[in-house]
Amino acid sequence: MERRLDSLAEQLKKGDPQAASELVDTYYEGIYLYMRRLGHNQQTSEDLTQESFMRAWQHTEQLQNNSALNGWLYRIAGNASRQYWRKHKGRNAVSIEGFEIPHGQDSEDEKLALQEQLSRLSSAVAKLPLKLRDVVVLHYMQHLSIAEAAEATGVRKGTFKSRLNRALKTLRKEFG
Amino acid sequence: MREEKLGQLLSELAKRSAEPVRPGLAEDIKQRIPQHLPLYRAGRDTINIIIDLRINKLAAAAVIILTLLLFANFLGGKDSNGLYQDSKLVAKYLLSGQITQGPDVAAAMLKYKYLTEQGKDVAFYGDIINPQDSNAILMQWRLSDGRFRVMFNDLREKTVSPAELIKLQTRMLQGKAR
Repeated sequence: MERRLDSLAEQLKKGDPQAASELVDTYYEGIYLYMRRLGHNQQTSEDLTQESFMRAWQHTEQLQNNSALNGWLYRIAGNASRQYWRKHKGRNAVSIEGFEIPHGQDSEDEKLALQEQLSRLSSAVAKLPLKLRDVVVLHYMQHLSIAEAAEATGVRKGTFKSRLNRALKTLRKEFG
Repeated sequence: MREEKLGQLLSELAKRSAEPVRPGLAEDIKQRIPQHLPLYRAGRDTINIIIDLRINKLAAAAVIILTLLLFANFLGGKDSNGLYQDSKLVAKYLLSGQITQGPDVAAAMLKYKYLTEQGKDVAFYGDIINPQDSNAILMQWRLSDGRFRVMFNDLREKTVSPAELIKLQTRMLQGKAR
């Protein structure tokens, strides 16, 4: 996977449209879900996903390090999201509703308890300040490494870790 | 609750809340891939720096127009009509106070240029629409299957049937007449 991403980044830097198409296939679901998890509604998430890719194609020269493809694309997407929130200051973040709890060996009570826990956690994440929500979503929900997520937010690793700690502390308080 | 447990629960939340993405989204995005991805260009970099610094929007728009003119001159100035339309689009936004984000205008202009370069017959309404109407049609072009792709004033895009297009145009013209 890592080698494929390296070669994809290399082709993007050479201006290959086929690589742009592969970039979409690899990342469009992830970027859409990133937008949803940041609190945008479905339509806005689609629009911001499209805008993120359009911006990415205009900024291939900023892709300096092949291994930083994740951080580069999520940084562009994060900027698109932040600009949206600045432009629409009154809007509240919407949390994703409805959780898929698979049929398994858990009892109905356990399933209900998990559903309730997830619902509360989802609301608590949506209530986090934007910067803290971003670090939680990038690291725990989009599964970016600390280095990639720090690159995506444009801060040093130490700053990212400290924000992540603050976010978890806030969530613990909210979540009990 | 311990940090580890909270982390696990957040991962669980990510897994359980992964809603399906609209199937046509990837294709919609791919339609907008430029034929040639832009390589490093000094003019475009200037725009990016301006946008990143978030300096005065009017100044940013003025630089965008200037850069477009410079590029057009540099490339031979053959596409004078397209350039005229681009300038009208930005000027219209500027005069109406609707220019909000540099990237939005730049994205609309890039799209228009891209489509015309692709030989698409794009109908552009930037000079006649009500800039306050986010649902007004900014531009439209015909797709190979007979339907139309529409870009609205707020840069949303939608594929519509000819009948839906007539409805949208009628509503837009009625709104303009009011």
